Amino acid sequence: MKIVDKQMSPEPCEEAGWAAYDYALDAPMLRGDILRLRPLGAFSYLEKLRRPFFKVESDHYLVKGLEGRQTLRVGIHRDHMDELTMVENAIEGR
Amino acid sequence: MIYLNNAATSYPKPACVLQMHARALAMPPNAQYRGAGEGKDALESCRASVAELLHIPDPARVFFTSGATGALNALIHSVLEEGGKIAATETEHNSVLRPLANLAEDYALLPCDASGVIDPKSVEDLPADTAAIFVSHCSNVTGTVQDLAAVTDAAHARGMLCIADVSQSAGCVPVDAAAWGVDALAFTGHKALLGPQGTGGFYLRKGLNLRPLLYGGTGRDSAKLTYGPDEYAYEAGTQNAPGIAALDAGVRWVLDRTVEAIAREESLLARRLRGGLEGIEGVTVYGKAGGGPVIGFNLSGIPPADAAYILYESYGILLRSGLQCAPLIHRRIGAGERGVVRASLGPFTTAEDIDALIAAVSEITQGRSSV
Repeated sequence: MKIVDKQMSPEPCEEAGWAAYDYALDAPMLRGDILRLRPLGAFSYLEKLRRPFFKVESDHYLVKGLEGRQTLRVGIHRDHMDELTMVENAIEGR
Repeated sequence: MIYLNNAATSYPKPACVLQMHARALAMPPNAQYRGAGEGKDALESCRASVAELLHIPDPARVFFTSGATGALNALIHSVLEEGGKIAATETEHNSVLRPLANLAEDYALLPCDASGVIDPKSVEDLPADTAAIFVSHCSNVTGTVQDLAAVTDAAHARGMLCIADVSQSAGCVPVDAAAWGVDALAFTGHKALLGPQGTGGFYLRKGLNLRPLLYGGTGRDSAKLTYGPDEYAYEAGTQNAPGIAALDAGVRWVLDRTVEAIAREESLLARRLRGGLEGIEGVTVYGKAGGGPVIGFNLSGIPPADAAYILYESYGILLRSGLQCAPLIHRRIGAGERGVVRASLGPFTTAEDIDALIAAVSEITQGRSSV
């Protein structure tokens, strides 16, 4: 799994004072890719939805997306931007 | 895409608004004022249209700004400059709350109830030295509509000014500045008035001469550098004439259909949405029926930001989640720190759009069990 693009998200996480980014991936997020994110924090995975939704959340960041999609969103507290690299590595499975 | 975020900004705009904006921008700048409005001065034409729609007694007392935030900041600044203390309500938007929190040494807040309603009698509890009370007519979180006539009467009985924020109601809920007797009123152009972003303004009652926030060129009396209270000018600098011309087209569109008819249609759709959502187990709908075309709700077990994300990414339904820049009302209505999911309707919303949202929320609530 590779991140192929990263854009500041127009969607507000901003309201909570967080920065938000939309990522494009080189392949769809599959169940295994999603479960691999579990160690990042509190994990929820709504598997029975039309398009299963996942989110992993800590005090400093969150990652959310839909199974089968090649995009996901990351929100990160502005005081902890240094943790973004670790999150990106986890997304890429490194 | 199903667009249900009209309380943030209306979309789509009527064709006449797009055409007027393009036409005004294409004109030589020296013709924009006199040419943009079908041979009439664009600003004067829009003043007349806004006054007609909002029942403002004197169109000349309508002043344009960059929007409601600019208008409310100007009015708050002016009241504070005159040495007055200000009160507002817990339903207000940050366009009122933040200026007060940052500019005023002291201010009071009137509480709302669990439906977002302000009791006009609570004005009696305000400190005696309160000079003005700012009241949002229609909540941008719940759609709750306040009784502005009663609040204005209560304010006047105590010698206070009453200043209404009709950002969320102008164009979709009847507004009657004259009948209410408000002293001032702020409006935005890009919501239910269907104009472009960057337009809006305020009305200031004739005879109420508050010190302006901005000073600058007005195109009149250029050799004169100071103003007396009777001469205050409230539009300093070059105005957004193309935007105002387009706003005029939007207001005329509303006037042609009548705000009463728009309100009736949107109210029916809002009731349909409220009823549909209330019928889904695990969905909480805030406020009460019969207000403006705004419905705030939550899904049990799914934070509003996630619900909005799923609704957009999986169902193509665009709405807004969070505190909607109105942080205080959420506590009163029991919505919590993460706010609500907000669906806001516009004149182009259809019954099919509403049914699609109800069906999507129903499907999400049925499939929300997590691993």
